[in-house]
Amino acid sequence: MSTNYIVENLKKEIDNFSSQIKAEKVGHVLEVFDGIAKVSGLSDIKSSEMVTFPNGEMGVALNLEEDTVGVIILDDFLKIKEGDEVKATGKILEVPVSDNIIGRVVNALGVEIDGKGVIKADKTYPIEKVAPGVITRLSVDKPVATGVKVIDAIIPIGRGQRELIIGDRQTGKTAIAIDTILNQKGQNMICVYVSIGQKDSKLRKIQTRLEEGGAMAYTVIVSAGSSEPAPLSYIAPYTGVSIAEYFMDQGKDVLIIYDDLSKHAVAYREISLLLRRPPGREAFPGDVFYLHSRLLERACRRNQEYGGGSITALPIVETQAGDVTAYIPTNVISITDGQIFLETDLFYKGIRPAVNVGLSVSRVGSKAQIKAMKKVAGTLKLDLAQYRELEAFAQFGSDLDNATKQQLERGKRAVEVLKQPQYAPMAVERQVAVLYALTKGYMDDVPVDKIKEFEEGLINYTENKTKKFYKEVMETSMWTDAGEAELKKAIEEFKSNFS
Amino acid sequence: MATLSNNDIAHAIYLVSKEKTHAELHEVNNKVVRFLARRRLLSKSPDILERLNKIINHEAGRIVVKVQSAKKLKEEMKNELITFLKKRYKVKEVVLTEILDEKLLGGIKIEINDEIIDLTVKNKIKKLQEHLIRKI
Repeated sequence: MSTNYIVENLKKEIDNFSSQIKAEKVGHVLEVFDGIAKVSGLSDIKSSEMVTFPNGEMGVALNLEEDTVGVIILDDFLKIKEGDEVKATGKILEVPVSDNIIGRVVNALGVEIDGKGVIKADKTYPIEKVAPGVITRLSVDKPVATGVKVIDAIIPIGRGQRELIIGDRQTGKTAIAIDTILNQKGQNMICVYVSIGQKDSKLRKIQTRLEEGGAMAYTVIVSAGSSEPAPLSYIAPYTGVSIAEYFMDQGKDVLIIYDDLSKHAVAYREISLLLRRPPGREAFPGDVFYLHSRLLERACRRNQEYGGGSITALPIVETQAGDVTAYIPTNVISITDGQIFLETDLFYKGIRPAVNVGLSVSRVGSKAQIKAMKKVAGTLKLDLAQYRELEAFAQFGSDLDNATKQQLERGKRAVEVLKQPQYAPMAVERQVAVLYALTKGYMDDVPVDKIKEFEEGLINYTENKTKKFYKEVMETSMWTDAGEAELKKAIEEFKSNFS
Repeated sequence: MATLSNNDIAHAIYLVSKEKTHAELHEVNNKVVRFLARRRLLSKSPDILERLNKIINHEAGRIVVKVQSAKKLKEEMKNELITFLKKRYKVKEVVLTEILDEKLLGGIKIEINDEIIDLTVKNKIKKLQEHLIRKI
């Protein structure tokens, strides 16, 4: 860029500039503490309206009282002094959105924090929006391929669904979310990962992982770190969903992950207590249900008349010692369309992902599965449930009848097949092939400790030998008789060579 | 018992002392002070007084306007400003308080209660800065 060009550009912009004269509503800071400011004046302010402080800090008016306004400060509050002038902007809090945001890491205000330069944006979206109504919606029936066998087979997630991932610390909640993002490559999906109150080191790890997997090409990370003030954690999920809505408005499918909503509720509790709102159960304010319901209700699938597109939400909630009856877990369970329940016991038994198949549900159900998957996974859940029940009996003695024995053996193998390492999402057609072999009994005489080896070998073998079957499942989402026969033959061939 | 806001108290004081003679007013004032002492509200009296002032001004159709400028205002300009403000806020009387501040560079800044009309050069430059940052 030459100097002349810059000067010309500047001149042009200065010519374009016209300042509008208008009366502004102002107030003065009465007190500042812990990210909150009490402000006098500001007589005509709206709820959740943006205000600005002298050094450009932004705030949001939350508490409108008779002669003061409680403002949460979205920047460093240490620079704000008593008596500072506060200006009302007349706008509800907005974040800049554009296509350039893909592949970037932004903070809760949509400002880049990855050091790759300013994100150019000429549009802004309000962070609070009323969720799409009934008329604009479409029922959920298109699957989100998570690449995690146990989820795709037993707890399928549809585009536009809200599926909660819940479990204790260190049970692999984030791992499932990250695997899902990694698996969206080529699935025509934009991903938004909202990190709320997480350690920056963890975020960095996730970002690096996503970059290595080539997933940043379709992913946006919104981060409100644990060192940032609580108000930023509070607005981060809303910022994330506004970015998601921007892409949905272009008719795209979006996957958004809130990691995690327990920390979000804690941040909101902090703000509410500082604003002197009365505390309720577990000291959370009365509107903590609405806090999450209005956020998750914005996940939807819109019909073509209203532009199409969808937002699938995967909120994460952390429980304490497996207690799902705490306030936030019960709230979010009742808001979402199902939950994936992860357990510490299973995790240490080596069953990873540590999904408890009995307690996990997807209320959208098999509507969000491709036909082929429906066919092979139909009996799987039943098999596993029966296995769990019989497992308890089996410990008492070995004189079981043949049918029971067979069921136990099948169950053991099913558990083994559903294990999956981290960062290794599996394409849906491969899952179908493996589960076909399992449910049709081809694995029943393979030793349990050889199942993983068998599975791997089977995938490699069939992928080369049964191109027709794979092509059919991929394109028409169901196999034909010819395809099935081809797969059967290949499995038998592979088995006879397997030792 | 519902809590009394300073605004409520100021309003009550205004209502009891309205249309009272000088002697009566003395009595009323005594009572008000005793009331404030009893309710331990004396520390809040500056705020209450300020609010009382606002109420009296409002009832009398008067506004207090703070005008900040870089240079002293000319008499004709002041008159023009007063006529404009009278029309805009539909009041009978305008009280101007002038403050000189060279940092404003030029123009004037008018403050009426919690409303500000900023016509200073400083503000314009700031806005231009924001505009250029956003566009380039």
